[in-house]
Amino acid sequence: MKPFSFEYFKPNNIDEAISLLNGYGEDAVILAGGQSLIPLMNLRLARPKYIIDINKIAELSYIKDTNGGLSIGALTRHREIEKSDIIKSKYPILSKTVSLIGNPQIRNWGTIGGSISHADPAGELPTLLLALNGKVKVVGNQGEREIDGDDLFLGYLTTSMEKTEILREVYIPEISPKMGWEFVELTKRSHDFAIVSVAVLMSIDNAGKCNDVRISLGGVGSMPVRAKGAEEFLLDKAINDDSINEAANIASEEAEPESDIHASAKYRKEMVKVFVNRGLISALDRVRG
Amino acid sequence: MNLDGNFRFNAPREKVWKFFMNPDMLAKCLPGCEKLEAKGENSYEAIVKIGISVVKGEYSGKVELKDIVTPSHYRLVGEGGGLSGFVKGEVTMDLEEESDKTIVKWKSVAQIGGLIAGVGQRMLSGVAKILTNQFFKDMEKELTKEESL
Amino acid sequence: MVKKYAINLTVNGINYEKEVEARKLLVDFIREDIGLTGTHIGCEHGQCGACTVVFNGKSLKSCLMFAVQADGAEILTVEGLAKDEKLHPIQEAFWENHGLQCGYCTPGVLMSSYVLLKENPQPSEEDIREGISGNICRCTGYVNIVKAIKEASKKIEGAGI
Repeated sequence: MKPFSFEYFKPNNIDEAISLLNGYGEDAVILAGGQSLIPLMNLRLARPKYIIDINKIAELSYIKDTNGGLSIGALTRHREIEKSDIIKSKYPILSKTVSLIGNPQIRNWGTIGGSISHADPAGELPTLLLALNGKVKVVGNQGEREIDGDDLFLGYLTTSMEKTEILREVYIPEISPKMGWEFVELTKRSHDFAIVSVAVLMSIDNAGKCNDVRISLGGVGSMPVRAKGAEEFLLDKAINDDSINEAANIASEEAEPESDIHASAKYRKEMVKVFVNRGLISALDRVRG
Repeated sequence: MNLDGNFRFNAPREKVWKFFMNPDMLAKCLPGCEKLEAKGENSYEAIVKIGISVVKGEYSGKVELKDIVTPSHYRLVGEGGGLSGFVKGEVTMDLEEESDKTIVKWKSVAQIGGLIAGVGQRMLSGVAKILTNQFFKDMEKELTKEESL
Repeated sequence: MVKKYAINLTVNGINYEKEVEARKLLVDFIREDIGLTGTHIGCEHGQCGACTVVFNGKSLKSCLMFAVQADGAEILTVEGLAKDEKLHPIQEAFWENHGLQCGYCTPGVLMSSYVLLKENPQPSEEDIREGISGNICRCTGYVNIVKAIKEASKKIEGAGI
């Protein structure tokens, strides 16, 4: 189908964009990569009256490795993140995760800001953001503010951003090179939406005990979640097959997925166990390596 | 799509029943309800605007109340649709007393079709649950308001 | 009167100045306003890849962009592959290796292959399959498509393009 009619704006800078959002309110939507928005518009599921195209705002596209963390501008394309050498070396989990997004065309145009503010519960980047303890910087009428990943996702396609705010930057705190990591997902066909996805980061102290672990789950509810019970269980414990299996069980029990045409809730719960298991084993491998 | 659930109201059953039978109250609490009109004995027409984020649509439908057993049981049978899809189904409502509180047990069976069912399948039951909970929470808010008057 | 927006862009080396409705999809602009119907519409919501073109050097599903966004852009469509009546090595390779049956997905596949081989002149089979993962083919089962792309990479290398 063809989309409904709308008026189109292409602001030169972020202030103009915000002022347009304010002016047109509820019926205005930001257009970045368009890889999620335009399909919805073509299917007429979304019918915004005003489109604010932010692709001209070049200063929203950057990858900055600063002391203590990584700052990525909202308009940075998945492809740019995939190809970034600094991210490959210092944040390899991010490199792998974006390479799993969609397909080459989608990665060429889709943006990190768009993906995160779209908040699809099966989306790879929202799930990863939680595991990375990342946060976003948004700009609106009241100026700029930061939102922690934990406070950002509220439900299906819904974030705690105001309607008149624009996501400007994604910030990821430094990851120690000693940290093991993995991102795995279960899809029906390669590149489909994840039925279950798991992000794991883990580090082990000199005594062989886990001193930091993050396990984030996607596709198991209306938003990505951290498997807090499984994380608590693993802290201060030796990481081996037994503790990994137990952690995977706990994560599976905590998860409350819905059934749909792609997979039943029961199957998803079982897959949480399988994929948390795989994620932890792989992360452990990387720690040793 | 089969969904069911319970909701506990801090009010006696007679009161909760009256609320559920009151179309003005339903209109107020039904998420996105723009219009709820009585079209006959126990039969209504409604227009609702529902949406999550950018996905918004307007749906119109008819609902009938059947098998009414005051104050404990009734069945809602309805169908509706909009540009993005259609729905046909029924909900059985059972109101149980628990001392001075009421537990509403609801059970729904629905067929959903059209675009929203195809493309939105993986979010449908989750969104339905969220909207249902919102409805019950709003009913509770209104009940509490009335209690304190 | 629906509002129209002026755009100026280059398609296969030729410059065009047109006026479009905001909601006009780039794929429809290419097919209707420019008259290049080689680019196909399969699903119209970004799943099948039949509408893939090269936009400022990057592969793009042209049903996922509005024409009005393409102001100032350089676009290459399947019609722009052959030069002076001679097939592009990728087209030759697809022809020789039976890399198409009904041909509906083919323009999109060719454009994805074009970009893939520009970025990765010696792709492995895995690279190739990843490279065309945004294009769905209902006829071939992809085997001959992969073969064709592998052949194409050799041809291009041989021709020193």
